[in-house]
Amino acid sequence: MDFALLTKAFGTVMLTPINFVFVFIGITAGIIVGALPGLTATMGCALLIPFTFGLPPIQGLLMLIGIFCGGIYGGSISGILIRTPGTPAAAATLLDGYPLAQKGLAGKAIGIGTVASFVGGTTGALVMTFLSPQIAKIGLKFGPPEFCALAIFGLGMIITISGRSLLKGIISALFGLMITVIGFDPLSGVPRFTFGSENLLGGVTFIPALIGLFGYAQVFRNIEKITTLPPVETRVEKILPKLSEIFSNLKTMLKSAVMGTFIGSIPGTGCDVAAFITYGEAKRSSKHPEKFGTGILEGVAAPEAGNNAATGGAMIPMLTLGVPGDAVTAVLLGALTIHGMQPGPMLFRDHLDVVYPIFAGMIMAQVVLLIVGLSGARVFAKLITVDRKILTPVIFFLCVVGSYAMRFSFFDVGLSLIIGIIAYFMEYYDYPVSPILLALILGPMAEQNLRRSLIISHGDPTVFFTRPISAAFILLAIVVIVSSYYRIKKSMEREQENLFAADQQDDQ
Amino acid sequence: MLAKRNLVLVATIAALAIVLTAGSAPAASFPEKDITLICPWSAGGGTDTISRALVKNAKKYFGVNVNVVNKTGGMGAVGMGAASTARPDGYTVGMITFQLSTFQSMGLAKLSYRDYNLIQLVNQSPAAISVAADSKWKTLKQLMDYAKQNPGIVTVGHSGAGGGWHLAIASIAVKNDIKFNYVPFDGAAPTRTALIGNHIDCATTGIDEMLQLYQAGQVRILAVNNTSRHALFPDVPTMEEAGFPNPTPILDWRGLGAPKGVPADRMEVLVKGFKGCFDDPEFRALADKLGLPLVYEDPKGFEKFLQGMEETLVPALQSVDLYKPMK
Repeated sequence: MDFALLTKAFGTVMLTPINFVFVFIGITAGIIVGALPGLTATMGCALLIPFTFGLPPIQGLLMLIGIFCGGIYGGSISGILIRTPGTPAAAATLLDGYPLAQKGLAGKAIGIGTVASFVGGTTGALVMTFLSPQIAKIGLKFGPPEFCALAIFGLGMIITISGRSLLKGIISALFGLMITVIGFDPLSGVPRFTFGSENLLGGVTFIPALIGLFGYAQVFRNIEKITTLPPVETRVEKILPKLSEIFSNLKTMLKSAVMGTFIGSIPGTGCDVAAFITYGEAKRSSKHPEKFGTGILEGVAAPEAGNNAATGGAMIPMLTLGVPGDAVTAVLLGALTIHGMQPGPMLFRDHLDVVYPIFAGMIMAQVVLLIVGLSGARVFAKLITVDRKILTPVIFFLCVVGSYAMRFSFFDVGLSLIIGIIAYFMEYYDYPVSPILLALILGPMAEQNLRRSLIISHGDPTVFFTRPISAAFILLAIVVIVSSYYRIKKSMEREQENLFAADQQDDQ
Repeated sequence: MLAKRNLVLVATIAALAIVLTAGSAPAASFPEKDITLICPWSAGGGTDTISRALVKNAKKYFGVNVNVVNKTGGMGAVGMGAASTARPDGYTVGMITFQLSTFQSMGLAKLSYRDYNLIQLVNQSPAAISVAADSKWKTLKQLMDYAKQNPGIVTVGHSGAGGGWHLAIASIAVKNDIKFNYVPFDGAAPTRTALIGNHIDCATTGIDEMLQLYQAGQVRILAVNNTSRHALFPDVPTMEEAGFPNPTPILDWRGLGAPKGVPADRMEVLVKGFKGCFDDPEFRALADKLGLPLVYEDPKGFEKFLQGMEETLVPALQSVDLYKPMK
């Protein structure tokens, strides 16, 4: 770590006003593409790369970093407002964000989400600045058994996002896991369950599935009550969360931020995994887990801090090892390569002049994000007061366009519509859809690494228990699952008793 | 009267024909609008990076821009399929990659190089056989001897079953009567990380994909699976030099193709324009930096190369039990 060079790089980047303009453009564009279902931060970055050719590399990168951070943040806005996450990373935020919005507190939900994103993002960026090489070393310790154990730990979060019935949550998750085995299997080299369709060779693509599970399902639900439900009255004046509300959630935010950074820094896991794990942990360790899912600020703060912290985390393996943490960092990796700076160990040795400005840019992006987010929250929150008769067709239109635009495929439009219909009926019968999404994210990771581990160990399953990191994650998974189960069960019973008592009082 | 009317009719038809043919063959004015280049792999990946770098200065050679569109899925079959069935007006071309040589023989898709008007070959990458820097094997011979005495013990990571690097090492193993324990990963980056994290004994990837780790001294490359050395890896021996001659190595390749039926004059413009992009100093400089071996072949040479590649691949696929040709 060369502190003199670091300070100099920070000075040059921060004191050049034009850089702020580029970060600002990036963040704003990122929020827009992030908030629109189907347009993701990944696509935003990919579309922007040609425009950065004409710019000096640093400014081009600052803009891309802006899109990355803005996109992850923007995804939650549509999640909170219309229950359609713009990016997979926002799918945990809507669990509490949408109920909050329905209570008329959309502004406050976005506000706390913005503050949490800032706290998380800054933590991630700082860790990345000062600890990248050290954290990269930990990342290298993750082999197939560790990835498998981590995925199992992540799947344990199903228990916290299952809603009222754990059994139904598990059924949903199994349905999701079944979907993930569709497609070409890179381990055996044969297609599975594709029925000869080339379109299914790549499996069920993530974005169309996301749009189906949340976007279309929400459209159908809206149609059901379009004429009966009154418009949401939102108290727009209460945009900024009170300081006391920020402070009471600060512990959750910081904890999620640290966890999010760590999860992001493991090569192969990104913002989406971080969001679900931090949400699950916040619920598990909460004094009142039964309130999660009904619309509480903590349920927004935790995943938002987690997924934005993971942006900084995900940059670590990308820059130090050349391994992208997720799809967006893969695009950033491509952008750096085209600009002639290939990420990897050599980048840190030969190109600190590029690496340090990236660090500075990440931190700058968080500040700009806070400003843009808080000043925009008022405008965003008004969106929800739009009449459902207008809003619903607009969402429908966005779903169609979004599922097409991912890879210009009509097949995907049909696919996401089918998934939407399934998701609508599942929710109608109280099967939660979030476990499906979690299974889609973690299923391939669990399956492939399970098989890979067994190939390496020549079929010996003890490999998962004899390696310390893998054993620790499996143990952790068991502890979390068991303790969540009892705590949630207990709190549900308490709630039931209260309801029962209230009923009896009513009867008297 | 009738004759006169016929004359008018004939004249009209003739005039129309002239107008129509004139309209359909404005050789000089192609291209009039931007050209689309379909990349069958996702943004940020190797093929995407090369596609974008290749057409970065396309305006110099075509007078219009060439825009890269990622149409992904189906191991590249979706995007490559889209390029082969696009309207044959020359405004849509596609990047085609190694998988095109295996779709039919692995039973994945009815698609081969015969479905295109080939434009050019862009690169040919040989596989590198690498071990971690602290590995006990210093030479390929030591590794192969150990593997021969301990069949099925040495773990070899590669970037996906049926992919070029899997088949490259499998064909070497078959020739030398060796059994490896193959560990398929999802792409080169995780394979690389697993190697330097000591989770696997050995890895096969494209040699260019190992450049950074090689320069940083984190891996030792035992051999390059080609008939000549690579300029950026001067001390890495060829297979023959390492004691395991392999005159027909399996190479990864990328190239450009247009849909069948693009008029010859437009093909000429495309071939010439993309040759210009290929020779662009900026593209060359980037490829050199990445260690990507650029190899140009014109449409004829490209076709011959692809024909040979299909023949080489069949026994390799058979050896790993993935040969399932489509009817």
